[in-house]
Parts: sequence; C-alpha cells; structure tokens
Amino acid sequence: MSPLSAIPAYASNLAAQIERLPGKSVSEIPSAMPNVAPVGGDSFSSLLGKMVSEVNAQQQIAGQNISALQSGQNVPLHQAVISMEEASVSFQFMVEVRNKLLESYQEIMRMQV
Amino acid sequence: MIQILTGIQNTSAALDAEQTRLDVISQNIANAHTMHDVDGQPYQRRVVVFENALKAAMEGGNSTMLPSQVARIERDTRAPMKIYNPGNPEADASGMVSVPNINIHEEMADMMSASRTFDANLAVVKNARSMAMQTLSMGRH
Repeated sequence: MSPLSAIPAYASNLAAQIERLPGKSVSEIPSAMPNVAPVGGDSFSSLLGKMVSEVNAQQQIAGQNISALQSGQNVPLHQAVISMEEASVSFQFMVEVRNKLLESYQEIMRMQV
Repeated sequence: MIQILTGIQNTSAALDAEQTRLDVISQNIANAHTMHDVDGQPYQRRVVVFENALKAAMEGGNSTMLPSQVARIERDTRAPMKIYNPGNPEADASGMVSVPNINIHEEMADMMSASRTFDANLAVVKNARSMAMQTLSMGRH
C-alpha cells in the first residue's frame, strides 16, 4: 500500500465537497466564462485524480528501481537516481497544484457577500 | 506518464553509454598484460563504438530526440607490441615477446574523457531539475 494511493479518493472527495457548497454549483454558474467545457469530457476531479495517480506511478517506479539496485540487480545507479529526481519533481508539482487549489478555495470563502 | 524532466531519457542513455565505455577501459587496463585472450593471441585492446538511436527514433517517429547508445564493442586491430625479454617463456627464437597493444597512458586519457563526459551529463540532470524547480516556484508569492 503506497502512501499516495489514498490521495485520488481524497482529491475527488474534496472536489465533490466544493460542488456541494451552498449556492449554485460550479456547473450552474451562467455564462460569465463561456466555453469552459471540461477537457476531453473529464471532470475536474477525475483530472486531479489522474494527475495524482501519475505522480504515484512515478514514486512507485523510483521505489522499484531503488529496491532493485539495493537487492543487487543490474540497475544502473544513475537510472535509480534519475527516477528519484523525476518522482521528487513531479511530487513537488502536485503539491504546488494543491496549494494553488486551496488558495483559490480560501480566496472564494473570504469573499464578501 | 508526466513528462516533467524532458530530455532526461537522452541523458540517461548517454550515462549508460559512458558507463559501458568506462567498463571497457577498466577491462583494457586489467588485461594490459594478458598474454592469451580467448583466441590464444595476446589480448587486443577493445574500443566502444557509439551511435545515436537514429534508427529506433525513426521507427518511433520522433527523429528530433537522438539518445546516444553503445552500438558495439570492437577490437583495436593494431599489432601486438614486441618487447625483448629472452627470459620469458613466451619469447620466440630471437627473444621477442608479443604483448597486448595497450598503452596505459592512452587508457588513462580515455578514462578522463569518459569521466568528464559523464560529469557533463550529470550536470544536465542537475540543471533540468533546478529549471523545473524554478518554474514551479513561479506560482508562489
């Protein structure tokens, strides 16, 4: 069980809660921003979930490479280190996206009505 | 798969290739005095031939990214060196012994070149990472 594997469920739960906020749901807001059809027919929460599972996959690849290297299999050292770097950068990317998302959510919650 | 550090596959392939080159150099140095190779002759120096993965890239449809890779390991066909050593059991009638065509200085120079190329590729990885992290910090304020 990877520590990240619970996050897609968390992300879609968060998005569902945002949808349930009092007032009109995001999909009901009239055409102030027209043509914001979901990319490829995917909802935002499933896009977010996809991104998180991609990051999770990167982490798993890095983990496999490291354990293969440590158990004496023929994995080059640089390949293991590069996959670690990739995993680290994509994790950082995910954290930045999450920070931005929460920031905009809090900005909306602070809005005067 | 997220392509977050683009071009890193090329670098990884180049690191692989340089690693192989270093392995071959170590083999050459280790066998500098090997009198009988697999064919019974004095050991012949091995050289690595690099090529880029043009063919594979053309088949894959992306001919702009050309990672380097080791094509084959060949023998250096220079004749074995002859040294005068009549006491050696391998010496011929005139006291000359055929020893491998390995010049240790040449191998050291090759090793330096391999090591510096490896360093350069590692610097690429480092830079790609720092570029990505700087780009990510753009969103912060």
